[in-house]
Amino acid sequence: MSLRRTLAVSRRLLEQFRRDRRTLALLFVVPLVILALLGYLLRGSATAPKLALVGDCGPLHPSAAVTVVHLDRAAADSQLASGEIAGFVLCQLPPEVHLEGSQPNESATVLQALASPSAVKPRIFYLYGGPSFDTLDYFGAGFVGLVVFFLVYVVTSVAFLRERSSGTLERLLASPLRRGEIVVGYMLAFTAVALVQSAVVLLFSLYALRITIEGNVGVVFLFEALLALSAVNAGILLSGFARTEFQAVQFIPLVIVPQMLLSGIVFPIATEPGPLQPISNVLPLTYGVYGLRDVMIKGAGLGSSGVLLDLGVVAAFAVALVAAAGATLRRRIA
Amino acid sequence: MSALAVRAEGVSKAFGSVRALDGLSLEIPAGQIYGLLGPNGSGKTTLIRSLLGLVEPDSGTVSIHGRTGYMTQQAALYDDLSVEENVRFFAEVYGASGADVDEAMSVVELFDRRRSVVRELSGGMRQRCSLACALVHHPEVLLLDEPTVGVDPQLRVQFWEHFRRLAASGTTIVVSSHVMDEAERTERLGLIRLGKLIAEGTADELRRQAGTERLEDAFLKLSEAPA
Repeated sequence: MSLRRTLAVSRRLLEQFRRDRRTLALLFVVPLVILALLGYLLRGSATAPKLALVGDCGPLHPSAAVTVVHLDRAAADSQLASGEIAGFVLCQLPPEVHLEGSQPNESATVLQALASPSAVKPRIFYLYGGPSFDTLDYFGAGFVGLVVFFLVYVVTSVAFLRERSSGTLERLLASPLRRGEIVVGYMLAFTAVALVQSAVVLLFSLYALRITIEGNVGVVFLFEALLALSAVNAGILLSGFARTEFQAVQFIPLVIVPQMLLSGIVFPIATEPGPLQPISNVLPLTYGVYGLRDVMIKGAGLGSSGVLLDLGVVAAFAVALVAAAGATLRRRIA
Repeated sequence: MSALAVRAEGVSKAFGSVRALDGLSLEIPAGQIYGLLGPNGSGKTTLIRSLLGLVEPDSGTVSIHGRTGYMTQQAALYDDLSVEENVRFFAEVYGASGADVDEAMSVVELFDRRRSVVRELSGGMRQRCSLACALVHHPEVLLLDEPTVGVDPQLRVQFWEHFRRLAASGTTIVVSSHVMDEAERTERLGLIRLGKLIAEGTADELRRQAGTERLEDAFLKLSEAPA
């Protein structure tokens, strides 16, 4: 293994990056746009569904989660049909609630707004998080990992495939370059870029989105770095199974969507149907997401055995993928 | 007779049901310009690739003595990098120096265009850049797979002048082609058809052997004879 030749590959890739503005934008601007959009979606003031009251409802005071309007029965019926209002209350004895019903979350909001408040107000204590802890804080931890993994994977797999389709890989293999040197050269260059990306994403999350990070930012960065390393090598590995750049793009849903759905970012693994849980448990992103959550939300550090286990598993995935990428490169060339 | 630079012995290679090379044997002495002549699909590229170790022959052996340089059929370059960055990358891979980079760019007359991005170059300039990448480390055996495809006649003359200079200084050059007038320029020719070497010799010898005026007719006539 020659360091000079390996670094020549890395240096060349970084030179290509410098000239490739679109890829740079994909790596450094797109994640910020996605996270900003997510932040606005989850944190921006949502438009409250409209609830109409028909007749004199006396002491009924729906909560502020809905906007209250007053209508007569005919107008309420037609507006319900057109979807303008989410529901109406017919004030009679017993009162009737009519719901539009096609959107379960709106129906739930209306019903919650009508539930009579309990007479006793309990005091509330949080083990983790707090009253200001919101959905973005929860999703943010997972999304930081997903965004880094996804974009690094896409860029690496396409770049490696371009090396092949342009004929330059053939040239490299006719040179003194060893296969391992090519893989490690790619890994170094893309990991370097991915680390910068991780840092940018992390700073943006901290200072622009103000996502809660209870634990050590360094440990969060360590998780992101290992996820990026896995993504680089997953990209090199899988690009070998594609013959064209178009096919490499077709792998994206195959690699990314299952990890998005099953890694616990949106649906906690504990509440998944039984048969899906073993799948979740073999995805690298699962451990990344849980580790990031433990650190960012619960403030766990390197002293926590759970965090160490997650770090270890993500690191093991990264190493296994490096080895697999190097080993399969030989077979794919001829 | 000088030492052997390239040797292939009974090399066979099949891709599925297609026999690309069929027991081909060949010896090229050091410092010679050797032309591989044959129609598309005759096995020229597979022979060059197996000489370089990019293809594992099913049977037979190949050996090359000395550092190799390789120029692929289509100019395989990094389109988004400049001429200099391309040549320097291959120089680093082969352990050549910065002076070698400048020299290679001068030889192919691209020194003035060294900062141009390859994507913006004409087809002929791309071929020249590709050649610079192949010879930046002063290879002892240069394998060129149809190096002058898409190159204008003037530049083709320059390429061949340069090949002859390299050969004069001891470089062995193996060049494949399906263009007959180009084959005339080589010192020795191997006619390849269906993965077999069907005739070998200088252009004159081949013409005499076939009893034809033109090399093209010689090739056609020799192809018909049982190999």
